[in-house]
Parts: sequence; C-alpha cells; structure tokens
Amino acid sequence: MLGKLVKYDLKASGKLFLLIHIIYLLTCLMVRFFYVNQLDFEAPAVPLFTSIVIASALMLFIITAVCICTWLQITFRFYRNLFGKEGYLTWTLPASSTEHLWAKLLSGYLLSAANTVIIAIGILILVTGENVTAFYAQFAPTFTAELGVPLTTYALWLFLYSLAGGICSVIWIYFCITAGQLFPGHRVLCAIAVYFIFGFVIQALSFLILFLSGYFPGYNHMASQGITAAAYLTGTLLISTVLIVIITVLQYAAMHYIMKRQINLL
Amino acid sequence: MKPILECSRLTKKYGDFFALSDLSLTLERGQIIGLLGPNGSGKTTLIKLANGLLTPTDGHILINGMTPCPKTKQIVSYLPDCSFINEHMRVQDILSYYTDFFSNFSTERASAMLDALEIDRRSRLSSLSKGTKEKVQLALVMSRDADLYILDEPIGGVDPAARDFILKTILTNYREDAAVLISTHLIADIENVLDRVLFLRNGQLALNATVDDIRTEYGKSVDALFREVFKC
Repeated sequence: MLGKLVKYDLKASGKLFLLIHIIYLLTCLMVRFFYVNQLDFEAPAVPLFTSIVIASALMLFIITAVCICTWLQITFRFYRNLFGKEGYLTWTLPASSTEHLWAKLLSGYLLSAANTVIIAIGILILVTGENVTAFYAQFAPTFTAELGVPLTTYALWLFLYSLAGGICSVIWIYFCITAGQLFPGHRVLCAIAVYFIFGFVIQALSFLILFLSGYFPGYNHMASQGITAAAYLTGTLLISTVLIVIITVLQYAAMHYIMKRQINLL
Repeated sequence: MKPILECSRLTKKYGDFFALSDLSLTLERGQIIGLLGPNGSGKTTLIKLANGLLTPTDGHILINGMTPCPKTKQIVSYLPDCSFINEHMRVQDILSYYTDFFSNFSTERASAMLDALEIDRRSRLSSLSKGTKEKVQLALVMSRDADLYILDEPIGGVDPAARDFILKTILTNYREDAAVLISTHLIADIENVLDRVLFLRNGQLALNATVDDIRTEYGKSVDALFREVFKC
C-alpha cells in the first residue's frame, strides 16, 4: 500500500517537476557555454566582476525560483491530497494514517532530494569550466586555510548536509499544514501562522543557544579571538544540527498524533 | 452477522454547536436506507464519521463491528457530495487508481458503465461537465463489491434523466447482502427505491422506520411525511 501511495504522489507531481528542472539544467548549460566559457579573467577587473555579479545574481534568482517551485509542489500535494477535496478519497483508501504520512514523507523527500541533486549538478555545470578552475586555483590555498578543508570537500559536505536537511524541511512544512487542521476554520491561514510563529520561536531559541555557547554575535567577533572560520562553521553547524533533529522529532510525533487521532475533514 | 453500521451515543461538536448529539442507531444489511433531514441536521457529519473523516467528540461508531480503520474502508464504498478526484487525472488513470487500491473494484463493471455513458477514457476529469463527472464518480463507487455503500447527495446536481441513470446504477450494482445509505433532499425521486428511512433533526434521530411502515402507519408517502415533520 505504501509503495502505491508513493507511486501516485510522484506521478501527480512528476511532470511539472521534470519540466521545471529540465528548463533549469538547459539554462545552466546555456549560461556555461555562452557566458562562463567566454569569461576572460585577464580582462579589466571592474567590467568583468560587474558582469559576474549580475550573472551570479540572475542564477541565484533562478535557483531560488526552482527551489520555491519544488517546495510549493510538495506543499500543495500534501495539502490537497490529504486535507482538500481529494482527502475524501485519500482518507477512505484502505491505508492507515501512518502509511499516508510515510507516503507523503517519502514522496516529498524524494522530490526535495532530487531538487538538491539537480541544483548541485547545475552549479557544477556553471563552475567547472577550465577558465574558472584555473582562476580559482590562484586562491585555493587561502580558501583551504580558512575552511580547514579544500573548497570541493567543503562543498561536498554542504551538499550532503542539504540532502539530509531535506527531510527536516519536509517534516517542517507538513507539520505546519497538519497543525493548521486543528483549527475550526481558515485552516490554510492558520497553517501559515503556525509556520511563522514556529519559525520565530526556533530562531529565538537558536540565537539563545548560540549566545550561550559563545558563537554569537558572529565570526568577526570570534576571529579576533583567533578562532578559524572552519572551527566557527563546524561549531555552529553542529549546534543547529542537534537543534533541528530535536525539533524534527517533536514535529513528527505531533503530526503522527494529529493524523491518527484528530482528523476532521471539513 | 454483525450490523453493518452501529452508532452508540455518537456526538460530534464544532465549538458550541452539536452537529450530532447522542445518536444511537443500528443498520442491518440487505436494505437501501434513506438518510433524510433538513440542512444542518447532521447527515453529512454522520457519513463522514462512518468513513473516518471526522473524529467523534463522544460515543462511537462501528462498521461491521469495527471502528473506522483500513479494514472498514475496504468494505465501505463512499461517494462524497463534492468532486473528490484530482481533476487533472484522465478517466483511464482513475480506473487504474481504483484497481490498484481497492481489491473489490471491478474494472469490467466500471468500464461497462462508462461505455454505456459514452465517456471517453482519455478525457481528463476537468474537461467533463459537472453531471458527467458525478456519473463517473458514481460508476467508480458502485463498481466496488462493498458491504456498505454510502452515497452523499448522489442525485443533487444532475438532470432528471441522469437521476434515473444513477438510481438504476445503484439498484443494479449492489449485492443483496450489502446495504446502501443514501443522503438526499430529493426524497420524491428516490422514495421508490428505499426500504428504510432515517430522519435526522438537529443531530438527533427523529424517525427510524421502514418505508412500508410509514405508508401503513401514517398513510403518507415519505416525501409528504418529511414535509410535515420538517415544516418551517
């Protein structure tokens, strides 16, 4: 049953997801061949870096748009299929609430992970030109010294972290929508309110923990104490990981309870 | 054999409003039951509780002796009062969906009904008219070999000719040992197919009698009795 639920979830989102990501990859290829490959790093610095800043901002905008589209797809599928009109069919399928929840978690995570992988491939397409790598090689030792590891290793860790973090983001979104269902009316609005209220509380909690552990007000302050960027990044990453894992477990437990005991389709 | 549906002191509250209050009733198999009552009397609430779409505030509801769960969902075929299928799906995809999830779904029976209605299986649900969509949904629901069919306003939004088709579909597709629970306002249209009626008023049972008893005892049709009981 779980496999069938996941299959139909992916089928429902697959076409649009593929279309968006194919367009993204084609854009990356075009930018690589028609812009990045033409860059001459020996050219005058001001026009060169102005054009790089503009191109980077444009690519950042496209990457953000692709990520937002993916998240909207995951969010809408969860909401519509479980708590919209389609819920009348979904909840009357011979499947348990746990199976429904896991199906949505798996399909949502698969889309999120696929999005992360494709975004990473796009970035690789953009930055692996011979002229870019040769230019970067001049600064590589400085980056390695600051980060403690080569930039490629650091990027790989960041990628794996994003990949793993996808599950937390999926649970976060699902939790907000599910918690919104506890309200008697305006449930979408309530889900958005839950998202922002929880976001604010967690931000405040993160600041408090970073402050108590001495990582606040930031790297500049710590650099003066002789702490490297690598140590700073590793420390903050560790603290946020522990915090995120605890929050995710609590959100999953709450969501599981609501879906098992408090389903009220209006 | 256990009753197909059993409620005991079933209560559903929304804030201070009682949609159902202390409702107790038992429905046996082998009958077509009309669930009748004015707007807001609790018909849809009872139906949703039977399908596990709502959580009772108090009391309990049992389907074949079990609280709503995947096992009861396997034996209950439910038609909601709204369009409940992803409208981007094609009719053939919806057939595959039902085949995949419901082991008691008969593709042959559904196909025969769709053919009789001349519905193109490659059409997307969104391209069909409201009446045709309702027919497709009813065909799917009635193509299951269920023990309990729950139909919420199945003839509400369709023309009289379509109503005849729907009633014929209901009558010819349910098993003798199954039960059909139909909620509707159009009593005159379905009166002839009903065996029993339940009148709900303010979330409570106002009447539970067979159609024959109503005719003998009150000397009236169900429609006439309904108008009398629920006179504004």
